[in-house]
Amino acid sequence: MSALLPLATLASSLLTAVVIFLLPELAVRTRTALNLAAALIKLVLVIGMAWGLTRGQVYAFELPVVEGLSMVLQVDALGLTFAGLSSLLWLFTTIYAIGYLEGSPNRRRFFGFFSLCVASTLGISLAGNLFTLLIFYELLTLSTYPLVAHRGTPQALAAATVYLRYTLSAGLALMIGLVALQVLAGDLRFGQREVLAALGAEHEAVLVALFWLLLLGFGVKAALVPLHGWLPRAMVAPAPVSALLHAVAVVKAGAFGIIRLVYDVYGIGFSAALGLLDGLVLIACVTIVYGSLRALTQQELKPRLAFSTVSQVSYIVLGIGLFGPLGTIAALAHLLHQGLMKVTLFFCAGNYAEELGIHRIDELDGVGRRMPLSSLAFTIGALGMIGMPPVVGFISKWMLGMGAVQAERPWVIAVLVASTLLNAAYFLPILNRLWFRPGPGQGIGAWPAARAPSRLETSAWLLLPALATALLSLLAGMFAGLPFSPLQWATRVVDQTYLAL
Amino acid sequence: MTELSLAPFSLAPLPLAPLLIATLLWPLLLGLRTLLQALIAPVRPRLSPVWLLDWLWISAPWPALALAVLGADGSLRLDAWLLGGHWELDAQRRLLLAFTALLWGLAGGYARGYLAAEQAWAAAGDRDARGRLLRFALFWLLTLCGNLLLLLAEDIASFYLGFALMTFAAYPLVIHSGRREARIGGLAYLVLAVLGEGMILAGLLWGAGTGSALTLSQLRATLATAEMGLWMGLLLWLGFGVKAGVIGLHLWLPLAHPVAPTPASAVLSGAMIKAGLVGWLSTLPLGMSAVDGRFEGLGLVMLAAGLIGAFAAALLGVAQRQPKAVLAYSSVSQMGLIAVLVALGLLQPSHWPALSALALFFAAHHGLSKGALFLGVGISEQAPRWPAWLLWTLLTLPALSLAGALGSGLITKWGAKTLLEAANEKTLAFWLSLAAVGTTLLMARTLWLQWKRWRETGKMGLTSSREPRASQRPIASSEPNPAARASDALNMSAFKPPHASLKLQTDLSSSISQSQSQSQNWNQNRSHRLALTGADDQRLLAPMPLAWLLTMIAALSLPCWGGWLTGDFPAGLTDGLPLDLADEADDKLGDDLSDGLEDGLVSEPPSEASAGLSGGLSGDLEGMHSGQCASGFAWPPLSALPALLWPVGLGLLLAVIFGWGLRRFAPRLSSWLPAGDLWWPLTACSHWLWRLGRRLLRWLGAGQAAWITWWNARERDGLRGLDTLIGAEDWLRRQLPLLLMAVALGLAAALLLSAAHRPPWP
Repeated sequence: MSALLPLATLASSLLTAVVIFLLPELAVRTRTALNLAAALIKLVLVIGMAWGLTRGQVYAFELPVVEGLSMVLQVDALGLTFAGLSSLLWLFTTIYAIGYLEGSPNRRRFFGFFSLCVASTLGISLAGNLFTLLIFYELLTLSTYPLVAHRGTPQALAAATVYLRYTLSAGLALMIGLVALQVLAGDLRFGQREVLAALGAEHEAVLVALFWLLLLGFGVKAALVPLHGWLPRAMVAPAPVSALLHAVAVVKAGAFGIIRLVYDVYGIGFSAALGLLDGLVLIACVTIVYGSLRALTQQELKPRLAFSTVSQVSYIVLGIGLFGPLGTIAALAHLLHQGLMKVTLFFCAGNYAEELGIHRIDELDGVGRRMPLSSLAFTIGALGMIGMPPVVGFISKWMLGMGAVQAERPWVIAVLVASTLLNAAYFLPILNRLWFRPGPGQGIGAWPAARAPSRLETSAWLLLPALATALLSLLAGMFAGLPFSPLQWATRVVDQTYLAL
Repeated sequence: MTELSLAPFSLAPLPLAPLLIATLLWPLLLGLRTLLQALIAPVRPRLSPVWLLDWLWISAPWPALALAVLGADGSLRLDAWLLGGHWELDAQRRLLLAFTALLWGLAGGYARGYLAAEQAWAAAGDRDARGRLLRFALFWLLTLCGNLLLLLAEDIASFYLGFALMTFAAYPLVIHSGRREARIGGLAYLVLAVLGEGMILAGLLWGAGTGSALTLSQLRATLATAEMGLWMGLLLWLGFGVKAGVIGLHLWLPLAHPVAPTPASAVLSGAMIKAGLVGWLSTLPLGMSAVDGRFEGLGLVMLAAGLIGAFAAALLGVAQRQPKAVLAYSSVSQMGLIAVLVALGLLQPSHWPALSALALFFAAHHGLSKGALFLGVGISEQAPRWPAWLLWTLLTLPALSLAGALGSGLITKWGAKTLLEAANEKTLAFWLSLAAVGTTLLMARTLWLQWKRWRETGKMGLTSSREPRASQRPIASSEPNPAARASDALNMSAFKPPHASLKLQTDLSSSISQSQSQSQNWNQNRSHRLALTGADDQRLLAPMPLAWLLTMIAALSLPCWGGWLTGDFPAGLTDGLPLDLADEADDKLGDDLSDGLEDGLVSEPPSEASAGLSGGLSGDLEGMHSGQCASGFAWPPLSALPALLWPVGLGLLLAVIFGWGLRRFAPRLSSWLPAGDLWWPLTACSHWLWRLGRRLLRWLGAGQAAWITWWNARERDGLRGLDTLIGAEDWLRRQLPLLLMAVALGLAAALLLSAAHRPPWP
């Protein structure tokens, strides 16, 4: 039982991918049902594991590969945080993708790799050692490539090539780091945090170098400046893929890798002792401000959101870098919060593109009247990104600020406030356009009429996921004090795992 | 704070929690209703005209009023809310809540009349008017909710939520008309508000993080003791100072207030500015003994900024051409005076209890009086058919009160004077009196401008019959006041009307109805609409004049009910007080009007009542302060009146001299000092900076692109090298047989040659 559940969770996506590849292209209904069922099963399994974990159950699976190296799947609270996020948002993204790609070609390929991508995300979250993490990390790279290139246009192919170039070099750095660590300390299980610290002072220089090497590897996916170049280019992908890249899978996998690296491979105390965290905080602050500044100059919606991701994901890195429980809580909570908010924004951006053909920001005038519900969801997401209460972004920002003061780095607050102001500067004009500017021709005139003769402003497949995630990000902020809110879950993780040190 | 003390009434206090939740939830529920009305509109365009600003909508602040009057002191904790909710009601909050809710309620009633033309248009099928109304209705409620929440919140997160909600939800109210001025005003408001929010967030995070504080009282204690407390205090002072109109950060006020619809200006200036004061009171370590010395610098800066603001705003305000801009500058000036009182709380902590009571009373007085003045601007533009002497007497009353010659203004001034003298700040008292001269000047200027407009519109009303006036009504979709529009028509060139089809001119209805797409609809509904527009509603109890009168009465009678709310008050004395206007029903109003006026203005409350009042206002004082305060808040004795009234006299004299002198010698002063003073040079400067920043960013982007190109070039070089290598290998493979043969031949030749000398085998 204890080995079965993580395997079943992984299989629920992997098998779906295989079956989808075997199904014919035109079996739309079967594929839809299969996708939704798999997403639901996975969510239930993850919730079940979370429930079991709080009751003290241990889930682990081990498969020796060679002497001294094995594939390890193990469930801990930190991994479940990421698994919960990816399975919840995968459900919404799947629903959205079904609506978004309705009637478009190559859907078998798309959904097959889509499932594979989520399977590898899940593998990353359940990985029990660095080796397993690396395997799934590379699998993620390979399975997202076809998704980015899905449209097949020269632009998409070029973006996918850039993506592959960045991520494969990162994988190489990771591989070297992994091998070196293996040589130094053997098979490093997550949770054994004393191994590297016990190696002794003569290895410290090597360990510092290896840390930066591994950070280089994870930093590419986490889009840390200056390794972020692939992310804005990958915007050519279809909207659900962008949502997946930005909110769920790829970027978060990088951030999660950094969390594992700092907390489970090096150990937070040892990292602080080596002086690694200062560098991390510095990189995060630079990324936050630089990403926001670049976002400010973008004239198109999706690139602006992309640079916003660059900025926001670094909040997680910043939280990790702040030595102390509050910073860690902020990092873990923001992992979930940013996912909810950003996926909402991308869903809405996709809705605008799909329904009205809008890509540029200055075309958004008056859209609030034509698509009020999507715009409402977008508004909630944007306000959350700015850090307006009661949306969840405020909770992250607050905890980060607390953590910064606790870590005796009050100057970080200046970065947070600068980021707030910049976020306001690039999101509020969009909101102003959406709601308070007259649209073209004073109404529906200049826009294409509604696609479906329904009462909704766009297809329900597209609208409902956006509304659901917007509602979740609102509720998660308003009721952050409830037992299973992201904030409380993060607090629980930190209480159980890191204060036990 | 969990123990429940009895409310100051013979009425049984109601349980706190349901009232508190109702207070905050009711506006939100009504907002949800408005949202639903907005959402079903596109689906069913032919739905019967929905009256957005109905009585249910106006009722939004009523639970808050009930809470202020009937709720028991105490607090409510909600663990699940944000980072732990903690809402509280105490004496200080009760007074703030009472006047805020009162003003919101009355301004809501006023809005119903003020926007009647727009409502009529919406009913006739104008989608734009309908959209604007929906927006107004929705964001009015949200702003109200934020304002109430920030008053009731004790936990920092709720307080920040209330503040931010109020700030951002008020933006659509500012840009309601959609004209160019409105957008500029909205931009100024938003930019400064965002800057303020940033500073508040920084101060709150820093302070709360240092002391692990979750509630405002913990935050104050942290600031008082923390090493860097001064800097946190500075951030918070500046952040809230944006809202409170600290000089230098006041730029949005004179830009946003004149362009917002009048009821919105009234709450902006009356209730929402006070949020800045509430922020100071909630976060700065005022009156704490631990702050000795360390906060002196901040206190002095606050004091100086307050005084400079009080005078500079008066001077700038006198040059304004729009009455609402003058009133906005007057708000800056008055808030400067309140800031002086707050600053004294940092400089002389021992006097803070009395000072805080005075500052709150001052805030309530200014809020209601300024509300009445703003509402009065709309009244003079859309004058009801009252005798001119009555109208202008009524319009003058709140102005006199604000200048300190009547009612609550007189008491405030007397209180400030006695308090400052008790605190050995005689010079400051003199400066405050001088500031009152400035206020008088501003009031005179406002009334003069209103009078001029009233005369102009009166003339237009005489020359034109009812029919052309009615024909202007279509334009009401962009500017609801026919009267204001008539005067606007004089300097129309500055405006860019939002709709090309609505060229603002005063020609016949036929041409307009041709240009309108809904012409048929309009003609059908014309009579219907005419019956409903605001200015035609000439009853005494029409929403606009009624709300205005009630606001004025509430403002003037504040000394009576203000103390009644905040402290323990013997039940027997309530008989001597005027009717409680808070829950006044509108049925008996005609009779009560004059009573209330008399009670509030003419007759002085019985001496016991004043003693009780002073006890109420300074309820939390002890020892010597209470005695001192009791004399401070009573009505001034007759002998003190000359000392209190000379600034008003001087102000009037100066007003006459200035008025004559400006017209004679500097008629263009107004165009040199436009509303928003520093905003214009700053905008120009920021445009320049923005361009510079854009160039810098482009340069950065280009640098990055060059960097990538360089790496790509290196990669291409590498690949080319590889290609060359492969090419070489290819060549090698193709030529290999030949080469091998050549080698073999060479070897053989070598062997043969060597064999020529000696045989290869031994």
